[in-house]
Amino acid sequence: MLELNGVDGYYADLQVLRQVSLVVNSGEVVAMFGPNGHGKSTLLKTICGLHQASAGSIKFEGKEISSLPSHKIVEMGIAYIPEERHLFRDMTVMENLKMGAYNRRARPSTQQNLAFVLEVFPRLAERKDQLTSTLSGGESRMVAVARGLMSEPTLLMLDEPSIGLSPGMRHVVFESIAKINREKKITILIVEQEIRNALKLANRIYMLKKGQILFERSAADVNVEEIEKAYF
Amino acid sequence: MTSFLNAIISGLISGSLYAATALGLTIIYGVSRVFNFGHGVVAVMGAYLAWTILSAGGQLNMLLGILVSLVVLYIFGTLVYRFTINPLMKKPAWDISTVLFLLGGGILLENVLLQIFGPRVKSIPLLVEGNLKLGPVAIQLNDLFLIVIVLVGIVALNLFFKYTRLGQAMQSIAQSIPGAKVVGIDIERIFGLTFGLAFAVTGFSGVLLSTKYFLNPHIGWEWMVKGFVIVSFGGLGSTNGAIFAGLILGIVEAMVTLYIGAIWVWPIWFVIFMVVLLIRPQGILGGRL
Repeated sequence: MLELNGVDGYYADLQVLRQVSLVVNSGEVVAMFGPNGHGKSTLLKTICGLHQASAGSIKFEGKEISSLPSHKIVEMGIAYIPEERHLFRDMTVMENLKMGAYNRRARPSTQQNLAFVLEVFPRLAERKDQLTSTLSGGESRMVAVARGLMSEPTLLMLDEPSIGLSPGMRHVVFESIAKINREKKITILIVEQEIRNALKLANRIYMLKKGQILFERSAADVNVEEIEKAYF
Repeated sequence: MTSFLNAIISGLISGSLYAATALGLTIIYGVSRVFNFGHGVVAVMGAYLAWTILSAGGQLNMLLGILVSLVVLYIFGTLVYRFTINPLMKKPAWDISTVLFLLGGGILLENVLLQIFGPRVKSIPLLVEGNLKLGPVAIQLNDLFLIVIVLVGIVALNLFFKYTRLGQAMQSIAQSIPGAKVVGIDIERIFGLTFGLAFAVTGFSGVLLSTKYFLNPHIGWEWMVKGFVIVSFGGLGSTNGAIFAGLILGIVEAMVTLYIGAIWVWPIWFVIFMVVLLIRPQGILGGRL
């Protein structure tokens, strides 16, 4: 479904991605681990067109997307949930969700998608008329994920969805991601620091360090110590 | 008492016109964070376009003049964005280079208008004739009509931002550009439409102002400076703030003129302007589109 080959990425003169190659297959949950500042977020941003790759190819469902603008990529079915959330603060929860269905492909099924996201996040139904600037951190995270789902993605990319949340809220977020994958068959690429929780979800993992893929494992072969060691 | 009432009314009238002038400025800034220093000249251009149609005379009427002015300025706005602002925004320090570019463009356009129309003052006839007598106070029907037009325009803009897909996209961009990209909004396309919309609104405000005041190629700078004070008072990027600030400053102007003399209007406006900037740089209402 998603295939990266030899992707390089720079911020000004600083190289943050080095020859990154990876594959995400349809229906999978793939987790990406790695220390902070080693290129995980840049990698997701590069896939969804918020950041330009300087070399290499990014293919989504067989089509090259590395030079497409972000709105075209969203329309093709990739949703990216930024760590910073980037909600529309002066809009209500409902208005934010409706903006999620902005692209032409998702618009006709807005009502069905809305019903699904409110089923996954019942809390948002209670908060639907509230401005998102008044929500708690966990609720804001739910809006960000739900808004992404409203774009009717086939691939959902999440950047540290559990960061800064209470243990209870983290559990809710991970449960929801599992449900999204299970019930909607949406493929998931998740960047996480919560290794143990993420391992419960993932079919495969990649370890990204200094902008390079250090190793790839299937969930069955994962060794937590090996991952933790790679952080140092 | 009568002069006080008259002053309040004339303050409300000029205030709503000033608010109308400020709208285009605040819309462009709210969405794209570009400050249009050529703003006033755009208003003047709109007024001259309407005047040209009008003075062609005969069956061509005011409504047609306004319509032509709206359409031409809409197209002009999208072209200005597409061919100048868009490439500038892709370069570093775009915030200052766009300001300087638009200032230069404004001066150029002012001189083009001067070449075409000459320096002599023109005026656009009243939209409606007659007076309305309310006890001791007489209001020109034209003034009343201007207020109604401005109010209808404001309500329409609010509905547009709240209920249309395009309006919501503009609001989304105003609130978070990365958020807007993530939901799949084509930012550059919406910027272009925003410039078109704002130029059309600005040109229309120029038509309204010229029915009440006079029109020459240079008057745009005065209009822009007034728009400037209003948006800083009401919050740059806020349409409702612009209305609120326009009305308040209109009344301030009328009161100052009545009690201490017209030459004090600008000094007092600018004291307010600077005090607001110092105390609440985001404006009294903050920056909501």
